Amino acid sequence: MFKWKKLGRIFNPLDVKNKFWLKEFAQAPATLLFDEFIRIYFSCRPKRDQSGQFVSYSAFIDLDRKNLFNIINIAKEPVLKLGQKGCFDEFGTYPISVIREGNEIWAYYGGWTRCVSVPFNTAIGFAKSKNGGVSFEKIGPGPLLSYSLDEPFNIGSVRIRKFNNVYYLFYVAGKKWTMVNSKPEMSLKIRMATSKDGLNWTKHNKNLVPEKNGENESQASPDVYYTNGKYHMFFCNWIPETFRDTKARKIGYAYSTDLINWTRDDSKAGIDVSENGWDSEMIAYPHVFEIDGKIYMIYLGNEVGRYGFGLAIIEGELN
Amino acid sequence: MKWRKLGQIFEFSKSPFKNEFVSHSQSPQAVVFDNFVRVYFSTRKKDKTGKFLSHVQFVDFDKKFENIINYSKHEVIPLGNLGCFDEHGIFPFSPTSFGDKLYAYTDGWTRRVSVDIDSGVGFAFSSDGGNTFKKLGDGPVLSSSLYEPFLVGDPFVRIFLGKFYMFYIFGKKWCEKTEEHEPERVYKIGYAISDDGINWKKMNREIIKDKIDENECQALPTVIKIGGSYHMFFCYRHMISFREKKEKAYRLGYAFSDDLVNWKRNDDKGGIAASDKGWDSAMMCYPHVFHCDEKIFLLYNGNEFGRFGFGIAVLEEMT
Repeated sequence: MFKWKKLGRIFNPLDVKNKFWLKEFAQAPATLLFDEFIRIYFSCRPKRDQSGQFVSYSAFIDLDRKNLFNIINIAKEPVLKLGQKGCFDEFGTYPISVIREGNEIWAYYGGWTRCVSVPFNTAIGFAKSKNGGVSFEKIGPGPLLSYSLDEPFNIGSVRIRKFNNVYYLFYVAGKKWTMVNSKPEMSLKIRMATSKDGLNWTKHNKNLVPEKNGENESQASPDVYYTNGKYHMFFCNWIPETFRDTKARKIGYAYSTDLINWTRDDSKAGIDVSENGWDSEMIAYPHVFEIDGKIYMIYLGNEVGRYGFGLAIIEGELN
Repeated sequence: MKWRKLGQIFEFSKSPFKNEFVSHSQSPQAVVFDNFVRVYFSTRKKDKTGKFLSHVQFVDFDKKFENIINYSKHEVIPLGNLGCFDEHGIFPFSPTSFGDKLYAYTDGWTRRVSVDIDSGVGFAFSSDGGNTFKKLGDGPVLSSSLYEPFLVGDPFVRIFLGKFYMFYIFGKKWCEKTEEHEPERVYKIGYAISDDGINWKKMNREIIKDKIDENECQALPTVIKIGGSYHMFFCYRHMISFREKKEKAYRLGYAFSDDLVNWKRNDDKGGIAASDKGWDSAMMCYPHVFHCDEKIFLLYNGNEFGRFGFGIAVLEEMT
């Protein structure tokens, strides 16, 4: 049994001044460890554009390894450029998930384009950094993982992991757009792909995690962490039909011993919304990491991270 | 090659389709049956917003292409669900028979905000002799990828050398809007190989050399084996002013190959050019070449991208 003890919010994007591209939102936090600090990548937004819509950039903050509430550095520029005209990532790069490969850092990210009948579509892009993760160069103008027979749209919410010398992408694919009060709402499902080189991927083509809230349940941010002989997945989920009213997303939990068969048990997730404050309506986009012998969860709060993300530490054994 | 034009064999305005559709019969593609030849094509409706939607229909000809003996009475394949790659039109529709199976590869269209459209290649099969087709899934079998960022379409599939070969086009760039023109696209011909016709490996090559300049747009490859070599027809045009200026409009191109890998372009040798006057004098596009009994035919569209109908030519001589 385990529970997460909330330590508080570590980053509020509204506190940042003089960065036009970082006005609000700090979404989908993902960590990269350095000797002296821990880098947290996230995605953020400038003010709405002329058409009243947002674009998303990805950036990072560095936290003092000895005091995770001490921000010692903030990215000077977004780490990735938006895509060229007509490309899958023209209007956003969100989220970003990174992994070290020798002297390089590889990034897998969600690229956003705007559509007419539905608000957007997404696909997964790939980029590399040769300067320690300060900036990333795309390998090509198109996506690494795109739409396919059983995954018709909204390929995103990506996480890169490497277990036993195999690369795993945990991501989501859209199953259906449903009209709710005349607005399209998406139903996303957690999916997986594997690769030997990080570049050529084989989709597993199955939903990984069973639904608990009806067949339209949306699932996102599958974050997989291995310890005690098990793979632990924390993810967020919501109900498309009622989401605009409740504004609620919750953190779910599933475990597996083979990465293919997953048992879902949200009652074990060990974390819920607070009674009041920045994470009282929603907790979402969990990311679990270990640093200096302790296991933490970083997660975002209300309005899908509009006001930043916070930290929790595990109590008990993650098993 | 020397072709004899048999004229415009289908006129939209004289067909029953004019009652339900607005105009166009684009990209005629044939399936040869024992006693007739079925020609599929895409025709257009307007939706609530006034924009066009391409729908697939067919007409059956006698084997001399002198008489129309049947018209489709309902759509051959439905457009895609909300948010899917083929929600806003299917054009072209490329039927392919392997043994006694009848399949179709589709070019599905979806509308974008910063550019007009994107596209992908779908797969469908018929269980009723080609009257209707069912999709294998909601998504595409061939889509954007690292080096082919958008506008993957115009599929043409045949079995050669024991493998499935798909010739198709992919987008190279979208040019920014200027005072003279809206954002315009550039696309090139590529190919992919498959063992089963469903899972494809892109070869990531442009196979036809540009004749105009690097912004030449190449479309709708169609390939036929005659004797020991392979012959490709396609259409090509300038990037801008191709709608209004005759000298910039689509013309038919030609290339040949002994190995399906290396192609020699020689448009003059193709042996078919625009007429001095009449339905195919200002434009020729969307070629489809096929065997019928002992003869080889070429279906194609004429002026205004096939707004008024399609025609056919028969091969008289190989040189």
